[in-house]
Amino acid sequence: MKKVWALVLFGLVASVIGASGPSAEAQASYQRISGEGSSWSAVAIDAMRVNVKQFGITVDYNPSGSSAGRKNFLNGTVDYAASDIPFQFQPEDGSAPENPAPGSYAYIPVTAGGTSFIYNLKINGQRVTNLRLSGENVTKLFTGAITRWNDPAIAADNPGLTMPDRPVVPVVRSDGSGSTAQFTRWMISQHGPLWNDYCRRSGRAPACGATSTYPTITGMKAQAGDLGITGYVTQGFAEGSIGYVNYSYAIGSRFPVAKVLNKAGFYTEPSPTNVSVSLLKARINTDAASPNYLTQILDDVYNDTDPRNYQLSSYSYFILPTTIRGQFNAAKGRTLGAFTYYAMCQAQQQSASLGYSPLPINLVSSSLEQIRKIPGVEVQSVDVKSCNNPTFSPDGTNLLAKNAPFPSDCDKINVTQCAAGTGGAAGQPTATNSGAGSAGGSGAGAAGAEAAAAATAASGTDCDPATEDCSVVNSAGGSNSLASAIPVSLAAPGGWTSSQTLTLLVVLLLAMVIVGPAIGIQYFSKRNQK
Amino acid sequence: MLTQTETFVPQTEPESREPDPRTINTVRDRNDRIFRVGLSSTGIAVLAIMVAVGVFLGVQAFDALSETGVSFLTTTEWEPDRGRFGIGSVLLGTVLIALVAIAIAIPISLGTALFITNIAPARFRGILVSLVDLMAAVPSVVYGLWGLFFFQPGVIGLSRWISTWFGWIPIFSVEGAESNSALPNASAFTASAFIAGVVVALMVMPIQSSVMREVFSQVPLGEREGAFALGATRWGAIRVVSLPFARGGIIGGTMLGLGRALGETIAVLLIISPSFDIKFRILETGGNSVSSLIALGYKEASSFGLSALMAAGLALFAMTLVVNFIASAFVARSRSGASSEA
Repeated sequence: MKKVWALVLFGLVASVIGASGPSAEAQASYQRISGEGSSWSAVAIDAMRVNVKQFGITVDYNPSGSSAGRKNFLNGTVDYAASDIPFQFQPEDGSAPENPAPGSYAYIPVTAGGTSFIYNLKINGQRVTNLRLSGENVTKLFTGAITRWNDPAIAADNPGLTMPDRPVVPVVRSDGSGSTAQFTRWMISQHGPLWNDYCRRSGRAPACGATSTYPTITGMKAQAGDLGITGYVTQGFAEGSIGYVNYSYAIGSRFPVAKVLNKAGFYTEPSPTNVSVSLLKARINTDAASPNYLTQILDDVYNDTDPRNYQLSSYSYFILPTTIRGQFNAAKGRTLGAFTYYAMCQAQQQSASLGYSPLPINLVSSSLEQIRKIPGVEVQSVDVKSCNNPTFSPDGTNLLAKNAPFPSDCDKINVTQCAAGTGGAAGQPTATNSGAGSAGGSGAGAAGAEAAAAATAASGTDCDPATEDCSVVNSAGGSNSLASAIPVSLAAPGGWTSSQTLTLLVVLLLAMVIVGPAIGIQYFSKRNQK
Repeated sequence: MLTQTETFVPQTEPESREPDPRTINTVRDRNDRIFRVGLSSTGIAVLAIMVAVGVFLGVQAFDALSETGVSFLTTTEWEPDRGRFGIGSVLLGTVLIALVAIAIAIPISLGTALFITNIAPARFRGILVSLVDLMAAVPSVVYGLWGLFFFQPGVIGLSRWISTWFGWIPIFSVEGAESNSALPNASAFTASAFIAGVVVALMVMPIQSSVMREVFSQVPLGEREGAFALGATRWGAIRVVSLPFARGGIIGGTMLGLGRALGETIAVLLIISPSFDIKFRILETGGNSVSSLIALGYKEASSFGLSALMAAGLALFAMTLVVNFIASAFVARSRSGASSEA
């Protein structure tokens, strides 16, 4: 009986592999390829690499940074590169220009994401999880134009919160990074004068341009990597700090992210669906004569009037060779083709769970055209129908535009803000000064504590647009007298929980590791002497 | 295998007033020659590698250095692609972090070494020695992460205390601490040269301690017992016998630690918030070090930027080399026991 089951199982596995991947007889001939570049998209690329291994495709990737990737692609030492910004023909930050031969490369998107602002803010000892910021205020926070949280401009964004008199501590990347490049590019495009003024103050005259190393001034923190920023912002002493990271880091650390105002007048969160919807408006430069051929034009994303738009959405590129060069040959092109087909379609299924956003239909269909240019590629009959990308259905319908949830009414500008938490703190609502939803406004200006007592009823509009979870507020409140009355302190739950047990276990193990060898040596050397 | 050394003694005239020194003719056999050649070639290889590192850095740094010249040592900005770069502030930051580290590490390592050699019961000595050596075996990234996530929150209180009471000393003052505010700003004390220095001190301590312990264990027993016989207390014996004898070793160990502190990369990189101002306020946010500058910058550097980083590396290399040479000179002196005569 067991044997029969094993056979059936084997048959199933074999058929799944056979059906979903490139044919089995082709496996042996996939040549190994190597790539280098962006650390921002490394998690997504690594997941793709692991998944294509089952098809016999071996892909190497070294996340040493976008600039290093582009440099080594030009040197011909890697087969493909991943970069957050395209080749820099006229670098705005003063570095030496890169000059790839025209027609020797193509860009396709790898994975998309929104620049998220993780923050650590408390009012009366209770964590704020529903901060809202306009784009201008974001820029001012990160350029030193707003130095205290109770600045009137921020208070105007947050009518439901009594902002504390704390200094703002912007936390930026100390290493060169694609996140910085994407963030600064948005600031230049949307709030150029503020940014240029900041550049002058930080000593980087005449202008920084879009740069991958953030210029700093006194009062700012620069930390290495997304991990460094998250690590800083989430610590107890770091109240008042705000940093920019990949959305997944905020989720992982259970910290909230700021909602940013879009052109439709809604404050939105960089959730995977919001970012994907925003990128429906991303245009690709199709002017083959332009040095920016095939690169993203995000102006329409910044100015989109879809209520779900998140302004700071962008994607990073694969740079693919379109000619035989260096160590790259047609056999490798075949591997690269199969890998990128997979990356555009199937791989996008897991983007959201990795903290990225799936690529929408417009980007996928244009990159399928580009993949054809790789020398040696086996042009698959992959089209939008058989792509298996989660943002559109086999019949080409744009599922995303249809199904992505809209922000609730309380996210609208000038309306009292939603109490529901954001990002990694989605389950923790914040007390607001007045009733949630469009009914509010009466209690604005009152202190948080008073409001807690005077809280008004919850309404169905407290849904979190990202998770469609409308029960959060009510269940946490336990009754209709809701939101504001709920203590939201993170540290509050006392007593012995599983985390304390784990801590104790870790300490004991560590002690054993440290002290164990020494005692053991001592013991055995004693015995030998006798 | 025995080595044969034959000595030929030429005939000398017994009456000659000034006897010519005899010429000694050494004949080595094959094994001896192989051994000598083997040893000297490994010795030369070590030197050659050092020289190769220096030459490599020099060649790579040439582009950058030829553009800036001497101003490389004084400029405080770091924008190689705009032609304005120098290691003025970075070098100062490196030295500050190393000095903080040394100032904290010396008392701890000296105390540890003295305790292990003079005070601890013999049966605990082995355990203590292995414990200290294990501290040296912990990777620096672990120290860095530990310092960043565990240590830093705890040190803020100390930093604030120092700046509150000793803020009148310029290096301990902190700007933007808002200590009179109802919501004091802890962020003014984070990511500072002081915190980086404390973490580096813990990494440097085991090296210093084991060099010092080695020297203390060579203190002649007779002299110590003599001191005790003359009625000296344990502290007296340490002060009069151990410390003077081991002076060279203490200085040497300190300098070795300094060498490591100057070059420490990952822990500093994780903790410090890089800034390019000349500033001596060690408790305040921001600082820099050459090695973390290189580690942070090389990924995104252009080819000229890389050359500039190499130049910074060359400066650090030269500085560390000098420190280590001084250290080895001291250690060599103390091993011979010459310092006990002083």
